[in-house]
Amino acid sequence: MRQVQGTFFTGYVTILIKGNYPELFFQECTKKGITVWNIRKIDQDVCEGNVRLKDIKHLRTIIRGTHYKLNFTNKKGYPFIFNRFIKKRPLLVAIFLSVLLALFLSNILWKVEITGVPKDIEEKIVKQLDEYGIHRGAWIFSLDQPNTIQQKLVEDVPELLWVGVDRRGTTYSLEGVEKLIVKEEEKHGPRNLIATKKGIIKKMYVAKGLPIVQVNDYVEPGDLLVSGQIGTTDQEEESEEEKKERNFDLVAAEGEITAETWYEVKVTSPLEYSYEELSGNKETKYYIQIGEFKFPIWGFGDPSYEQIHYDTKENSINFLKWELPIKIVDTVLSEKVYYKGKRTKEEAIQTGIEQAKSELLLELGKDAKILSEKVLHERMEHGKVKMNIIFTVEENIARVQPIK
Amino acid sequence: MKKFRQRVQSLLINSFALPSDVILELPRITVIGQIHVYIENHQGLVTYSDTELKLKVNKGYVQIKGNSFVLKMMLPEEILLEGTITDIKFLSN
Repeated sequence: MRQVQGTFFTGYVTILIKGNYPELFFQECTKKGITVWNIRKIDQDVCEGNVRLKDIKHLRTIIRGTHYKLNFTNKKGYPFIFNRFIKKRPLLVAIFLSVLLALFLSNILWKVEITGVPKDIEEKIVKQLDEYGIHRGAWIFSLDQPNTIQQKLVEDVPELLWVGVDRRGTTYSLEGVEKLIVKEEEKHGPRNLIATKKGIIKKMYVAKGLPIVQVNDYVEPGDLLVSGQIGTTDQEEESEEEKKERNFDLVAAEGEITAETWYEVKVTSPLEYSYEELSGNKETKYYIQIGEFKFPIWGFGDPSYEQIHYDTKENSINFLKWELPIKIVDTVLSEKVYYKGKRTKEEAIQTGIEQAKSELLLELGKDAKILSEKVLHERMEHGKVKMNIIFTVEENIARVQPIK
Repeated sequence: MKKFRQRVQSLLINSFALPSDVILELPRITVIGQIHVYIENHQGLVTYSDTELKLKVNKGYVQIKGNSFVLKMMLPEEILLEGTITDIKFLSN
């Protein structure tokens, strides 16, 4: 029966043969290599049987020149079903359109959810998102990646401390954390102010507490600057005994002690330098990516840039809740130019100092101020200038120390 | 010459245990109960009707009788018959 298996898929027909000894026609067929099955004698001169769809054309050559009459009585199998289906054009068009519609709707933003922030900030976020083009009904491809939106939002809405943007299918959900401006009105326990670095006191502003040092004093780290014990000074000399018995008034010392401090920094600055820059020329290419394979749809040929910086963005297409393995990829190719330069020793020293300055400021924070710098020592080594620079900085050196 | 061939054939069958239907070009008829007959190595269909099937074989005919016969499958040298079988008869020329 193996020969008859799978005939449903290839299709078969039932034929009816009329004539004397109709079974001999089937005999003829099998001799020619046509498989016939389910042969049934209906009448003395009528016989029916099944043959494969692809054998019909051979059947015609056999029947030529014989007295048999051939009729097709039944068609069965997948090819016929398929044909019948193909003939129903409106149905086909409707199926195609509905798939297209589902595809279209799956790639539209339906909902923007914002959680975790009060109403007024939420409104601000919605407004800001509108500006980026993120609103209900927007085309998902045209939107930025969630992390880009995240960054932009935090920059543009100052009230936001952090925002998490997550795209789940056709929904953008944003979770915000509000920046609470907490005023430091907390009750502090009694405390002193001590020095964190060595330096010479330049300015003192004491809001609470008893200053121990004076302007132009030299302090070492850990030295007491402002004491939290007050109310004892006048009677101090009267008697040591009395002082010990007396209850001090303990306060939380508060103030700003600005001192001149010094930093020695080692810097290396090369005489030859190179850096890269985008020239501004760019081209965009679009691909359809299926699995690993990329098929270009727009932007053919490579630009004649010597160095190229690639910036690739992938947009996946959704169908209902699934992400299709097809992606639309756009790649921006920007021209990259390498610059090489040489500088003299003086220039190298200058850039070295600038670099050290900005690094130092980054480390000390924005309250610090660089007063002066001095190159202590410099030497050339392998085309680089190595320097030791000393910086004089003005900064707040006070740190609180609780009194036990 | 013919005698020699027959001797070789019987030698092959007896000493090499080769199936006799292959060597002698005889039909192999497999009967499954009363419902199926499977005939291989026949040489052509002679008559077929609802109640009778007659096949030409080497040196004669095979006649199968019964009722409600359907030829389930027909290949160049094989036939699978379905129905209720009553007789299987060998007719000589």
